[in-house]
Amino acid sequence: MLTEGGYPYVSGDAGLWCDRLVRGLGHHEFDVYAFSRSEVQEDGGWVPLPPQVGRVRTAPLWTTEDDGVVYGRRARRRFAEHYGELAAVLCTPDPGPVSVPGPASDSAVPGAGPGAEGTTPAPAEADRFTGALYGLAELARDEGGLATALRSETAVRTLERACRAPRVLPAAREARVSDLLAVAAHLHEALRPLSLDWYEEDGLGAVDLCHAASGGTAALPGLLAGHFFGVPLLVTEYGVRLRTHYLTRPDSSSAVRSLLAAFHGRLTAETYRRAAFLTPGNTHARRWQERCGADRAKVRTVHPGVDAAPFAEAGESPERADPRTLVWTGRVEPAKDLVSLLHAFAGIRAAEPGTRLRIIGGPAGPEGAAYLEHCRALAARLFPDGTGRPHAAGAGPVSFEELGGPGLTGPADAYAAGAVTVLSSVVEGFPTGLVEAMLAGRATVSTDAGAVVEVVGGTGLVVPPRDPQALAQACVSLLRDPERRARLGAAARARALELFTVEQNVASFHDLYLEIVARTPVHRVRLSDAGDPLPFAAPVEAHLPGHWAGLTPHRPRRTTPAWARTTQERGPSPARPAPSPARAVTHPVPDATPVPATEAAR
Amino acid sequence: MTGLDELDRGPARPGTGRATADPVKALLHRHRELCERAVDPLEIAAGLEAHGVTDRTAARFKHRDVFSLAEELYARIPRDDGAPRPSAATTGPGPRAGWVVLTLLPGVLGLASTAALRLTHGQNRVYAVALGVLAIALAMRAALRRGSPLGTTASPPTTGTAVWTCWLIGYALLGDGLLHTAITGGPDGPPTRGPGGSGSPDGDWTLVVAPVLALTLAFAPGAWSTRLFAVRARRKVAASRGLEDFADFVRPLLFGSLALFLCALGALFTLCATVLGEPFTHHEVLALGALLFLARLLTLHGFTHAPKVVLAAAALAQAAALATVFAARLPGCGALAVPVETLVAAWNPGGVATLVCGAAALTLLIHAARTLTRASAHARPEAPSQGDPA
Repeated sequence: MLTEGGYPYVSGDAGLWCDRLVRGLGHHEFDVYAFSRSEVQEDGGWVPLPPQVGRVRTAPLWTTEDDGVVYGRRARRRFAEHYGELAAVLCTPDPGPVSVPGPASDSAVPGAGPGAEGTTPAPAEADRFTGALYGLAELARDEGGLATALRSETAVRTLERACRAPRVLPAAREARVSDLLAVAAHLHEALRPLSLDWYEEDGLGAVDLCHAASGGTAALPGLLAGHFFGVPLLVTEYGVRLRTHYLTRPDSSSAVRSLLAAFHGRLTAETYRRAAFLTPGNTHARRWQERCGADRAKVRTVHPGVDAAPFAEAGESPERADPRTLVWTGRVEPAKDLVSLLHAFAGIRAAEPGTRLRIIGGPAGPEGAAYLEHCRALAARLFPDGTGRPHAAGAGPVSFEELGGPGLTGPADAYAAGAVTVLSSVVEGFPTGLVEAMLAGRATVSTDAGAVVEVVGGTGLVVPPRDPQALAQACVSLLRDPERRARLGAAARARALELFTVEQNVASFHDLYLEIVARTPVHRVRLSDAGDPLPFAAPVEAHLPGHWAGLTPHRPRRTTPAWARTTQERGPSPARPAPSPARAVTHPVPDATPVPATEAAR
Repeated sequence: MTGLDELDRGPARPGTGRATADPVKALLHRHRELCERAVDPLEIAAGLEAHGVTDRTAARFKHRDVFSLAEELYARIPRDDGAPRPSAATTGPGPRAGWVVLTLLPGVLGLASTAALRLTHGQNRVYAVALGVLAIALAMRAALRRGSPLGTTASPPTTGTAVWTCWLIGYALLGDGLLHTAITGGPDGPPTRGPGGSGSPDGDWTLVVAPVLALTLAFAPGAWSTRLFAVRARRKVAASRGLEDFADFVRPLLFGSLALFLCALGALFTLCATVLGEPFTHHEVLALGALLFLARLLTLHGFTHAPKVVLAAAALAQAAALATVFAARLPGCGALAVPVETLVAAWNPGGVATLVCGAAALTLLIHAARTLTRASAHARPEAPSQGDPA
């Protein structure tokens, strides 16, 4: 498993998901290769790791340690050649439709969707990029010292030469010295995975599957493992990294942005091309992946899972809810558009005077705190008596509360408190809060943002964002119709239990692991002590899915495919060599891979 | 990038209200800035999504999804790539008062120590001088650690460079007198402060204070010119269009800041030597000052290796010169002292230090002219600050 800035660090982004996955697949062996994003994160320590995590290797992305290798003449020429090739590719206009500014796409034909056009760069172009990338990786593997070289004057000069070449992007031609330095620094950071010592026979070379927990930097070691050892790659993206890159650098010059966009675009395309499977977390991510050249046949949407257990009680007892209370939960920030919600609630109060609104959640950052204050002031203005006071239980129509207060020990209590859960976001990724509300069996009214429609399906009301009137109408209609509310709530709970639980998430990955390993097994030639290849060292059984030591209690439900089970029950057929002596030869280094190759998914 | 307020003001419902002929135009107008600076349609798509535009919104514009909408926007916006953009303000923060005071502190303490040396007698003088040296050392350390020219936090100085620097300064204080005494047969006792230097009797091991005082006083101009160099170079990084262009600008800047420092040092030394009544050995002080200034400049820009090696070589050469003179007293080794004695006879005891420091400074200058003119030397904001300047 390859992660960037996440698992196994305590402050990791997707740490919870990775932890559940690793714990859920107890019969696989995991090695975690993690990038840390900052010193604070590194100091924060790791989460407790389950026993199936064999080893953890980390590398910081925020700093570099020089290995002291200074290139000689030949290595320098080799570096300049590959780096120049890389820079030249970045500076040339993308041949695909993605960035061709010209009369061809000028016609503004409404129906001409991008799906009709091939979004993958032309093979020659992609080959140049990957050739340069792998060339640099091989150089780093042979000689080391790539980190120093990427920061050297040679790199900057090579970049300048590429930018001044004929037929480059107009933006690249405008690049100034500061732009060149910025691009070189960013490439140094982005290509940091190349200079790690992970690509050894007993490192990433010994695994059977690389699972990158995000695209971008985290997937780069997976690409290299595939290049050096033929290890298949599975990429899971809950948020598309490429999209994040576009949003993170608003202040840079156009030269920097276009060069880096070219780099990340091509790296992403290469990742998608090489990956055995892509698992976007929602349709939005899936659309981005397809847009960036992912083959539809390889894309499997795997929704993130939410632990259903805490919501069981609330979900089983819908009558506990106060029928006149609306609940909003989440972290308070401007993107949640609480202002619209408050305006909508004014409309709801006009129609249904006894209604209350409970806004539950703390502010996210200083911006969120300011926004919360703004919302409090607005609430006090809209509903003049008794609002704005904390814990104004039962008094005012609007109350701002935080989790952990009296009667609100967990999110389940929050959802249980109201009959209708409202989501008013303008921008939303995968709405975990909505899934929790669904698991709690509450009818929901949400705005059409992010993956909301995909999650809700037909089990809740969806209104356009920034439309308080529509939001109010939807809420009122639900408040006046308890029967419909109950029906929607039950349907929502059923849907969430079917689609958005941790178990389905883990089971999907389990299936994918087996499928990848079965389809693209890593063929390793085992060598005897004398260095000759051993013909029957890796028996055919080693490539069959299924666990040699029998079923483990951790095996998730509904996962074992029928064909895998029959293999185990049948056992090795007499025609093949018996597995146990053969395996003894297969694993001369018992501590590295003590289980059959097929099951050790990392 | 979440310009939500902007959308709050104008509801994004072009299809519902007034039916304009070209709904995309309104969207284009609203996101004009985003579209104008986007480098490809995907960037517009990402920006639109961050503003809450979804596929359903795109459908109102008769588009299949956000991507095709973004493509239309990208194609329709007039873009002038050659437009001059405001260069990013990369000027560092202005010099802080605390920093200026810190750079002046060693000089002030040097003055105070010299005054104490002059005015006190006997045991008190020893205490006063020891206190003064300690205070100067601490002040320099503080100024060096906090005194990175662009106000960045810096790492503590490496002991290696500091030790060699201390030796070089110590030699400036004592070395010439010791060398002179050694050649003439001494020393016979601990160093004394020569009353007026020139009037010291032969065989007395004289202490020359003026060069060191001038160096401590020149700490401030040295720090200011390194800052000047760093700030101007960084500004030029943002402005220049090519690496050659940049190197052509930085080379004279480097020589200029060195000359500026040397002028200041020369003037200060003239003043000190006049006031203290000590000999005018400008060449020696200037050579040592140039060496330390260049070493500081290089370490500030991250090149720590070359200054360390060159300073060590200079210090060892001085030590070797002294050692040969003493070793020549051993029977049969008289020839060892010939080079040094010839040099001293041809010039004066300061000749050794001048030659050594001058050669070292020249080496560092050549190195600096090659490395500091590279743009990559000015890229990293986190320049480690090490070593001692003048």
